[in-house]
Amino acid sequence: MIAALFNILIFPGFLFLSILGLVAEFVDRKLYARLQNRVGPPFFQPLADFLKLLGKEEVVPEEADMRMFNLSPVFALAATVVAYLYIPLWGTKALFYFDGDLIVVLYLLMIPTLTFFLGGWYSRSLFSTIGAVRSITQLFAYEIPLFISLLAPAILANSWSLSAITAYYAAHPWFWLFNLLGFGVALIALLGKLERVPFDIPEAETEIVAGSFTEYSGRLLAYFRMAIDIEVIVGASLLAAVFLPFFLMANPVLGFLFYLIKIFLIIALLALARTVFARLRIDQMIEFCWKYVAPVAFLQVLINLILKGSILR
Amino acid sequence: MKVIDKVINWARLKSPWILHFNTGACNACDIEIIAALTPRFDIERFGIQLKATPRHADVLVCSGPVTRQIRDRLIRIYEQMPQPKFVIAVGTCATSGGVFDGCYNVLGGIDQAIPVNAYIPGCPASPQAIIDGVVKLLQSLEDSMK
Ligand code: SF4
Repeated sequence: MIAALFNILIFPGFLFLSILGLVAEFVDRKLYARLQNRVGPPFFQPLADFLKLLGKEEVVPEEADMRMFNLSPVFALAATVVAYLYIPLWGTKALFYFDGDLIVVLYLLMIPTLTFFLGGWYSRSLFSTIGAVRSITQLFAYEIPLFISLLAPAILANSWSLSAITAYYAAHPWFWLFNLLGFGVALIALLGKLERVPFDIPEAETEIVAGSFTEYSGRLLAYFRMAIDIEVIVGASLLAAVFLPFFLMANPVLGFLFYLIKIFLIIALLALARTVFARLRIDQMIEFCWKYVAPVAFLQVLINLILKGSILR
Repeated sequence: MKVIDKVINWARLKSPWILHFNTGACNACDIEIIAALTPRFDIERFGIQLKATPRHADVLVCSGPVTRQIRDRLIRIYEQMPQPKFVIAVGTCATSGGVFDGCYNVLGGIDQAIPVNAYIPGCPASPQAIIDGVVKLLQSLEDSMK
């Protein structure tokens, strides 16, 4: 009981993840600023934003559905924190694992997007409704490539469990090179999942104010922002566990260090994409995902199947 | 309780999110406000971010005199912002009505409609003046909390 509470609230649960998430937000914003030749925010900026929002008045629009409006951010936060428990960090074993946890993690990571939709939809404001519909439309574009690109390494490892996949790639050191295509696909899909530039269509502040979050203020907005920060960490850890399974040390300190390097490498790649690209239109995004990203993901599956049938038999 | 209040106040001073609203300016002040938001001046150093919705904003940055038509909208936007909120009037028009003072359709400065915390004169106010005004507003808030 106490161990479970510790796992949920402190490590690797809520507290640890929030700190890591705030650090990740800072790294992202600072890198973005430096790439634009600016100084950028001070290191405490994400924390100050979070605390300020916690201390602000909460406004719930009269027409909004009280229950859904208030519950959505909490669900987003809870789902991302739970997903983290199943992802192997620096060892080959996650805290909890069973056969099929890859699918569970993917579905848990889908819940935040659904809460963005529900929160926006039940705000009953025009801007948030448009944002909500856009985020659910976008979901259909990136989710399939993400699933397929993550299932390809699973085929090679012959398991649906994240821990088993990591263990397999740790036992066969150079096999991760086969999955590089899938890694690219997963990165693109992660950009869509996190609603980052160039796929920040649901939040597009120059067109639809703030998308689903238009009506959110105060504490609820803080929860949503924290959920997104944590989602960054969870998404990056997921990609690191499946696609970059090296330096899995038995030594926790070194292993943790390499884990941090891996996830911050992925976060840096996301920040780079934010600087380099401009926002796409929703139809362009869907076309891009279905015409190019999904076929590449299928190609990765094909490659892995052929490898499995021929060389690695 | 004291400690929590202190922490929240610190956070408020370090992360003022602004909302820009044109109440009837000739547009020069707006261009200067936009210029102040560009990477050249990098106001993210002070934690300032431009937000598009009143629900997220802490500071309402108004430019221009209040026209009779915009008055109700200005008040509505002000009411939509969650507490605690602050208002900055940018430009001579926003502080007093400026060159538009006395027009049949103009009420005067922003303070004719909503309470204002800081005035930044200038026609138009330069980005440096705007940033200075915001920093001074934060400074005065910090002093008033002590
Ligand atoms: S202060 Fe000058 S620049 Fe600004 S809105 Fe008035 S007339 Fe235009």
